[in-house]
Amino acid sequence: MDVFDSLLPLSVQDPSGNWNWEGSFCLGEATQQCEGFTIYHLSLPVPCRVLLKAMCSGKLQTGLLVAGYFIYLLVGAAVFQALERSAEKQEKIAAAQMKEAFLQKFNHLTVPEMEQFMKNLTEAIQNGVYPVGNKSQTEDSNWDFSNSFFFAGTVVSTIGYGTLRPKTAGGQIFCVFFALFGIPLNIVFLHHVGKMLSLLCKKLGKFLHEKGMRKKKIKFFTLLFFLATGILVFICLPSLFFKKTEGWSYSEGIYFAFITLSTIGFGDYVVGKQPDRNYFSYYRTLVAIWIIFGLAWIALLFNLLTTVLEDTEKIIVKDLHQIGKGGKDNEACQQGRCWPTQFIPEEEPLSSHAGGDAQKMESLAEDSEHTINEIDGVSYSKIIAKTDEN
Amino acid sequence: EDLLRQERDKLKQRFLEEHSCLSEQQLEQFLMRVLEASNYGVSVLSNASGNWNWDFTSSLFFASTVLSTTGYGHTVPLSDGGKAFCIIYSVIGIPFTLLFLTAVVQRIIVYVTRRPVLYFHIRWGFSKQIVAIIHAIVLGFITVSCFFLIPAAIFSVLEDDWNFLESFYFCFISLSTIGLGDYVPGEGYNQKFRELYKIGITCYLLLGLIAMLVVLETFCELHELKKFRKLFYVKKDKEEDQVNIMEHDQLSFSSISDQAASMKDDQKANEPFVASQSPTSNDSSLNN
Repeated sequence: MDVFDSLLPLSVQDPSGNWNWEGSFCLGEATQQCEGFTIYHLSLPVPCRVLLKAMCSGKLQTGLLVAGYFIYLLVGAAVFQALERSAEKQEKIAAAQMKEAFLQKFNHLTVPEMEQFMKNLTEAIQNGVYPVGNKSQTEDSNWDFSNSFFFAGTVVSTIGYGTLRPKTAGGQIFCVFFALFGIPLNIVFLHHVGKMLSLLCKKLGKFLHEKGMRKKKIKFFTLLFFLATGILVFICLPSLFFKKTEGWSYSEGIYFAFITLSTIGFGDYVVGKQPDRNYFSYYRTLVAIWIIFGLAWIALLFNLLTTVLEDTEKIIVKDLHQIGKGGKDNEACQQGRCWPTQFIPEEEPLSSHAGGDAQKMESLAEDSEHTINEIDGVSYSKIIAKTDEN
Repeated sequence: EDLLRQERDKLKQRFLEEHSCLSEQQLEQFLMRVLEASNYGVSVLSNASGNWNWDFTSSLFFASTVLSTTGYGHTVPLSDGGKAFCIIYSVIGIPFTLLFLTAVVQRIIVYVTRRPVLYFHIRWGFSKQIVAIIHAIVLGFITVSCFFLIPAAIFSVLEDDWNFLESFYFCFISLSTIGLGDYVPGEGYNQKFRELYKIGITCYLLLGLIAMLVVLETFCELHELKKFRKLFYVKKDKEEDQVNIMEHDQLSFSSISDQAASMKDDQKANEPFVASQSPTSNDSSLNN
């Protein structure tokens, strides 16, 4: 018996205390479901056993995910570096050349003076003061009511452009507390907006269902509709609009739309900030409405993509299981019975919040419903709501 | 802000007076160019040429800010290819990040919240709710000190002109993924060990995000908060084939389902042992 004791602690005996060599491969608590059959194949080498044990507890799944994520980050970093390095170099060279030319033109300017001036100006720029033009009295302040409202909106939606920034200590402290309560509020608000949006999809689904389409087709169709109209209404049309009002190119408009709606919010492109353009009144209001609906739509989109990713991941892990089990007793192992039951307790917390369970994809109405109920804007809330709304 | 404007005007005036051969227009042009460059993160000061915005560690930092949707904006993709890649990278990467965070948070929560709460509940015999509340508060304190106060202190030491409040402000703005970008660490001139610093900041951001989510999740699992949240959430509708019925009698059905849901919840609360049985059995089965 001591040979068996050196096995993984998961291996169990059947109720009568005999070690059997047929039957299925069961671990831990799943003994009952496997009708008392207990097996462990001694012939598997230790690393395989460890791997299988890890697989059983879903640790491999998580480990794979973590590793995959870091690889994704590294790959992204490398690609960004390759793409941007040369552009940055050019920009630096151009800036240096411009400085040179300027100094040469006005050659009684000494370099240190110039540097000092530049330094002061750069600080002013970083503080948000636009250095071109000097009509300080007639300029609109950066912190008049509409701009402050805009700033509050970017904080609460976590977009955070950064073109407006609180400089005083009091402003910063208030910003912290304001965000602390504002972000959850925003999340709940977006949840309701998303619900409104998904109602449209549900109506379409119902309409098609009445027409007699099969469920799978409806699901596919509604998904496509959701994607297509969303991209049209929230990304393409606004980009055209911005092309007209801001003078950006069409691709810059799309870039801005995406960066804003995903709440990344670099701040390199911001609406209403070009000083030499006249914006019609309520321009900012229109943009704000677009942002609100667009945020809800993108949250839905991201949730959908998360579901897809999770399903893909499950398929990969499943394949790995099959490989790991090797050719040992594949038929004998009532895989269908044992593995899923072992899996499910671990998997439930994972699958429930991402809604990736295949069974939940019955009808699109249910699907979008499910995704909506688990959506609260982006980032935090999504994850929290997912775990809660089972 | 007004003060700054006046300063700026004075500075310009003085400069123009000192160098009277400069016409105002030329200065304006020059300033426009400087502004443009500085918007892209390229500083025109000569002693800043040592800092590259796109070496590998800075790109890694940038990629992590994009995926966590923080988006400082201190470096932005300049080329068209960079912008297009940024969009594609985020469309895939942000859901991936969400998946990653969810999985990790779920795993951590088991060890950090559910087990300790159960342990204290069984060992010391307090009611589950009280233990849960105390645990949540303690966890909140520990997280705030580990991920806000201590890093704020570290940053205020490492960064030249950040005081403690500014560092704390930076930590909060980054971990909540607002990411204004007014304070970005590692951008000072001649920063020592810049690469290592950037990697460290990237790790801090990711870990901090995970920690914030764990704390939020812990708080959200508190029973009281659940009730409060149910006020705001919209109820799930039934199956599609039952939708028609729902539409006619929406009010009555939803009120009934409300009651049922709340009754179920109360039941669950009053029988902590029963409710907790299944998770523990699952957990123990995993680790045997």
